[in-house]
Parts: sequence; structure tokens; C-alpha cells
Amino acid sequence: MKFISEFVGTGLRGTGLAAGCVLGLIAGSHALAQDYPSKDLDWTIAFGPGGGNDIMARTLIDIIQKYDLYGQDIRAENRAGGSGAVGWGYVYSKAGSGYDISTTSGSLITTPLQADTPWKASDFVPLALLATDDLAIMVSGNSEWDTIEEFIESAKETPPTLAGTGTVNVDFIVPTLFAEKAGFEFEYVSFNSMADMQTALLSGAVDAMVGNPGEIVGLVESGDMKALIYSGETTPPALGDVPTMDEKGWGVGVSMPRGLILAPDAPQEAVDFWRATVEKIVETPEWEKYIETNLLTENIKYGDDFGTFLKNAQDGFEKVLRAQGAIK
Amino acid sequence: MDLFADLWMGLSVAISPINLVYLLIGAMVGMIVGIIPGFGPAAGLAILLPVTFGMDPIGAVMMLAAIYYGAMYGGTITSILLNTPGESATVASTFDGYPLAQKGRAGPALVMQAVASFTGGTVGVILITLLAPAFSHVARNFGPPEYFLLALLGMLTLIVMIGENWKLGVLSALIGFALGTVGVDLETGQSRYTFGSAELIGGIHFIPIAIGLFGLGELYFAFYRGLHRIGSGSIAQYDRKKGFWPDLADWVDTKFTLVRGSILGFVVGVIPGAGATIASLMAYSFERSFSKRPKNFGKGEMAGLVAPEAANNAASSGAMIPLLTLGIPGSASTAVLLAAFLLWGMRPGPLFMTQNPEFAWGLIASMYLGNMALLALNIFAIPLFVQIIRVPYRILAPIVLVICTLGTFSVSSSMIEVYLMFTAGIVGFFMRLYGFSPAALVLGLVLGPLAEEALRQTLTISRGSFWIFLERNGSIGIIVTTAVLLLVLPLMQRIGRRAGALKQGTVSEAEDAGV
Repeated sequence: MKFISEFVGTGLRGTGLAAGCVLGLIAGSHALAQDYPSKDLDWTIAFGPGGGNDIMARTLIDIIQKYDLYGQDIRAENRAGGSGAVGWGYVYSKAGSGYDISTTSGSLITTPLQADTPWKASDFVPLALLATDDLAIMVSGNSEWDTIEEFIESAKETPPTLAGTGTVNVDFIVPTLFAEKAGFEFEYVSFNSMADMQTALLSGAVDAMVGNPGEIVGLVESGDMKALIYSGETTPPALGDVPTMDEKGWGVGVSMPRGLILAPDAPQEAVDFWRATVEKIVETPEWEKYIETNLLTENIKYGDDFGTFLKNAQDGFEKVLRAQGAIK
Repeated sequence: MDLFADLWMGLSVAISPINLVYLLIGAMVGMIVGIIPGFGPAAGLAILLPVTFGMDPIGAVMMLAAIYYGAMYGGTITSILLNTPGESATVASTFDGYPLAQKGRAGPALVMQAVASFTGGTVGVILITLLAPAFSHVARNFGPPEYFLLALLGMLTLIVMIGENWKLGVLSALIGFALGTVGVDLETGQSRYTFGSAELIGGIHFIPIAIGLFGLGELYFAFYRGLHRIGSGSIAQYDRKKGFWPDLADWVDTKFTLVRGSILGFVVGVIPGAGATIASLMAYSFERSFSKRPKNFGKGEMAGLVAPEAANNAASSGAMIPLLTLGIPGSASTAVLLAAFLLWGMRPGPLFMTQNPEFAWGLIASMYLGNMALLALNIFAIPLFVQIIRVPYRILAPIVLVICTLGTFSVSSSMIEVYLMFTAGIVGFFMRLYGFSPAALVLGLVLGPLAEEALRQTLTISRGSFWIFLERNGSIGIIVTTAVLLLVLPLMQRIGRRAGALKQGTVSEAEDAGV
């Protein structure tokens, strides 16, 4: 508009005006290309409030807002259900958009393997892997089991019920592989939200659950829950003196990828913007604090490297689930 | 004494300037929603929920809660001045409120209703402060079997309270259940009734349905009932200079009424499905039996106004208990509040208050402040709200229509949801016309998936045996409570109905309007 008024002002009417319009349009579209982001961001959290995915998404959003890295409003929404099928199905339906972002979990890989989702992990634009996290098998604080050996011994007699988030998920794969190696069976109970699952364990409705340390550390500190064994390399001190699966010789070697993806076919300008933004995010003290308090292993891979990581994990999971008979 | 520390911490959250502004806006909007006949708190909340996007979550929920309890104050103004309840929970307030106004005592009636509402609201919040932690503690023994039974209890009580039209209520709830099955299956991740549409993967969203049913549906129904023709000429007159303040007798006569009404209201409010309407009618009836002058009831007795007013406000606080400590809404309005919590990433439940203390206690502390603000607004800003009664429907209707449309679109920028909202609006109108219950549909939509998930988890845990419901103390407790409620509730309803017999017609109408 400024162009037009200047041309008119200098007396070049008629042709001048037309030229002004054309120039204005070019300038406008050029500005648009440079101007990512120019719209509100729709941040899909594919799980309910309170879970690891939710905590990570909200931490990232807090950091982005604190350092004003995005410049527009960010709207985070929990689109939970179907082990992530709902949330990522929503992001998938926004193909071509640079404004639909989501945080990943193991379910990004496992849900499409198991259910007839229209999407699979490789359909999305991989932005960056940020960290991996591992699971602990938890029992209620007043449970009769104090060690994993006691738990396994009792489990061999009567298979316990064990709760996890989502159906065919690392929450299911890790304890399944573990149980196979340790030689017991269990009944898996799927939950949609971490909060409901914690209540179910505390109420004694289920015997045990699996959770990420970040989700349960508060309940361990308050004595409401006890950790029995940990799937990662070294047990976070906050969980107490708990052995790892590797130490016991029942290692499973599966962990949950925590990263960022955009809708399929997202424009390159959005991808570039987010790569640069993630580089800034992981340098902040808040991010370091998040990794520390949530007991994650930092593991940063950008773009195609993250894509390859997802692909490898996808193949690995598929093999496990097929062997388990969970998928055909 | 942790309680005071928690409350103090909550107060420090609530009292930040921006949160106070949100709280005041909420209180004002609540008053307005209450005043407009045909719109209750559920409608107000559903329509305005999307407006809170982009706000700080604590401030937003404080504001929405203020709309919720503020509507109880506003609804009485029209009950007194127009003999038209602003919403269903203030029907009982017309019985003596309007006769008081006719006797030239509109001023004292308005002041006393504000005082009664404030007392009910504040007693309610005090009881929340004292009881919510204890309720949370008990609820920590609840697992999937208990959640399934609680969802069932909520639906059963709601249907019982619908009364004569209960068959249509059941049908409405079942429609809600059916809508709730659309989307991805919770356990297997398979799509159900999505017909290949990506838009339906997430299921039928609650917010467009609630906005359509309560916002547009009620708007259409208000036109149908001719509410737009209520002239401002019929507003009872009052004088701010002379005889505006209550006299000593008003205070002395009603001091115990205030307490009785508040406690009764709170208890009824805690029961899922019962709610503020039935609480106010019961309080009216009880008060008449306590009174030395029962014959004066219906002819302008101050206690007949104070009792239902204290009760409906206390009941709206009481209904926050199952919402905060169990995550189970007992009414359409609390279902919308639950949707708001979820939108902000909070899952109310037994661990909610210990895991989100700032949020939970901030909200509770804000309710003390909100009730104070509403008391002041009611006494000093009455002329302003009387002006709102004069705003004709032809101006109001387009505003509501625009807010409903924009609000729905802003939730997930989906035109499909806007179409869904308009469809729900038309369906809502016909539901009201033929005696169906939009409130039961909305609760069915919220509680259905919850009950389904909990039942499937329960049966996985019990390996298919239903005996699990008789093996757990919590389950047995809930089953017994449900049985007692199913016996007591019809009785309570009869008491309420007796109160309504004085003013035939208004009560059954209030009952269809839902809780």
C-alpha cells in the first residue's frame, strides 16, 4: 500500500499505479516467504494432560514464549485417544501446513503398526530428536513387593495386572520384553491419561504400572509409589536405589524418542525456521533443567538424522510386535 | 494448618492484578448471563469458553468459574423484578421475590438476595476448602471400577431428576453416548464410525455440541416461547432513595434461613445430577415448614426469597467438589467447566489438588473474592443490570449468534465443527420443544467415553468378571450411595415439586431446562 501512495503522490498516475500494484504484490509475496511465522501455531499434544509428552510440549512452549522465539500465539491442545491416533491423525490431516506441530512419543511409531491409521511415522516432516526416555516399573508405596525379585516371584504364581499409557506402545513393549526375559506373564491394562493411571495404581485397582521417571518422581518422593526396575542405562537417583534391567541381565534395549514433527509436506521455510529455533531452545537453561528434572537422556538429531532414527526404531518395534503376535 | 497455608498460597495467585481483572469480568458476565432469560450458566460458559483462548490458564478458569456462580446472582434480578427467572435455578426466587416487589419492597428484596447469594456462595466455598482435600483423599481409593460406577451414578441421578420426562431423558443420554462412540477406539486404536474422515478421528467434540445445544438451541427456544416480547414496561419499580435498604426485621427473620439454605444447598449440590435448581426448590419447601408464618409464603415473605437464593449459590459451589476431586461433572455447566480444565491441560481428579496446588487453590481462593465482588456488584450496580433487562432480543440474538459461530470456529479452526454447532442448535431447539433433555445428552457425551474406558479397564483387570464391583470397598460404597440416592432423590423431587405447586408450570419448565 505504501508503494501505491508514493507513486500516486509523485504524479505518475495511470501506468504508475498499475506498476505500483505489481511491485506491491511482488514485495508482498516476497515478504510472506520471509515471514514465517505469520500465523498462530497449533500445537497438538497427542496424549492427555500430565503425561511425559504433555510435559515436554508444555516445557517447549514455555521456553519459546519466554524467549519470544515464535512471535505469534501458540495454541496447545491435548488431542488424546487411540494411542496417539487421534492427535497425529489430526496433524496428518493438516498436510502442507507449516503451522501444525507435534511432540513425538514411541506411539508415533507403534500406533500405525498396530492400528489401521491413515498415517505412519515417516509421513511427517521430522524436525529434531531431542531426547530419549526410559521406563520404570512402579508399584504402590504400600505394596508387599519391595524388590523386582519379589515381584517376579509372585508374578510367576499369579500374573499381575500392569497399566501403561496407550495400547501398543513402548509402555507395552518394554514390560513385555522384560517379562519374557525374566520369565513371567502379566495382564496389560491400557489408559488414556497418566492421571487416571496413577489413581488406578494408588487405589489398588492395578498391581503395577510403567511410567517415565519424570511423570512419577513426585509420587516416589512422597512415598506413594515405589520403583522396582528401570529400563535405561543408569537409574536416576531420584527413583532410589533401583536396579536397571541391564544390570539384572534382562535388558530390553528399547526407548522412547522425544522429538518434534511438522505436518506432512510442511513448507521448507517452516522446517528451516524450526531447525534454527530448536538450536536455540536446547541452549537455554530451562531446557537443561527440563532434561535434568525429567530424568531424560539428551540425544539431539536434526532433520533426516531424526528421520533415520525413526525409521530404524520403526523396523525394530515392528519386529518385536510381530514376534509378540501383537500385530499381524 | 496446611489448609491455611494452601489457601494463602491460592490467594496470592488469585490476587494478581490481571487475575483480579479476569475475575471481575467473569462476575459481570455471569450476572449478565444470569439476567438474560433463556440463558443459564451452561450456555454462558459454552459460548464464552473459546473467548478465553490465549489467556493464562489460571486466570481463564477463574473467569469461567465466576461466570458459573455469578449466574446464580444475576438470575434472581429478573425473578424479583419481572417474575421471570433468569435461569432455572432461580425459579423458586420468583415465588416470594416478585410479590415482595409488588408490595413495593423490590429494593430490600434485591439487597437481601445479594446477601443470601453471598452467604450461600461463601459458605459453599468454605465447605469446599474444608472438604475438598478430604474428598480427594477418599477418591485416591478409586480405580477404574469406581470410575465406571461414578459415571453411571451421575447419569442415573440426572435421569431420575428429570422426572416425568425421564424416558426422553434416557433417550437423550443414549444419543449422547452414541455420539461419544465416534472416533478412535480407546483400547485398540481402531476407527469407529469415522467413515474415513480425518475430521472425525478425534470424535465428536464436546464444545461445538455444547455451544449449539445451549447457545443456539436456547436462543431459538427463547424466540419460540416469546421471550423476545417481554416488554420492559412490566419491570417492577423501585426507589433507590426511599425504602431501598432492608429493615431490621428482614435481617432478624432470616439469619437462620441463610445458614439452613446454604448447608442444604451445598449437600444437594455435591450429588451429581441434582444441582442448583432442585436445591433451591427444596430449600424453599423446607423453609416454609420451618417458618412461623407458612401462610405468608408466596405472598412476599423475605425468608421465602432468602432460602432458595442461599441454596442455589451453595449448590453451585457444592457441584465443584465432584468436579475437582473426581473429575466427574454432575451437571451440564460443570461438564463445560471440565472441558475448560482439559483444554488448559489439567485433568481434575484425586491427585489434582496435590499435583496442581497453585491452580486448585488459586481457583478456590478466587471464589471467595468473586463472591465478594458479586455482592458489591449486586448492591451497587443494580441500575446497570436493570438496563440489561431492557436490551431487546433483536439486539441480543445476533450478538449471541456471532459469538457462538466465532467461538466454535476458534476451537480448532474447523468449519466442520461450525456446521456441527449449527446442527446441534437446531437439534437442541427440537429437543426442548419435545421435552428431551439437552443436559442429559451433553453429560452422556462426556460420561459415555469415560464409562466405556473405565469398564473395559475394569474387565481387563478382573479378567472378565463382574464380581469385581462387589470386591472393592470403594465400589461397594458407591453402589450403596447410588441405591440410597435413587430412593431419596424422587422424594426430594416431590418436596421441590410441592414448592412449585404454588406456581404451576414454572417448575416443570425449569426442570426441562436441565440442571
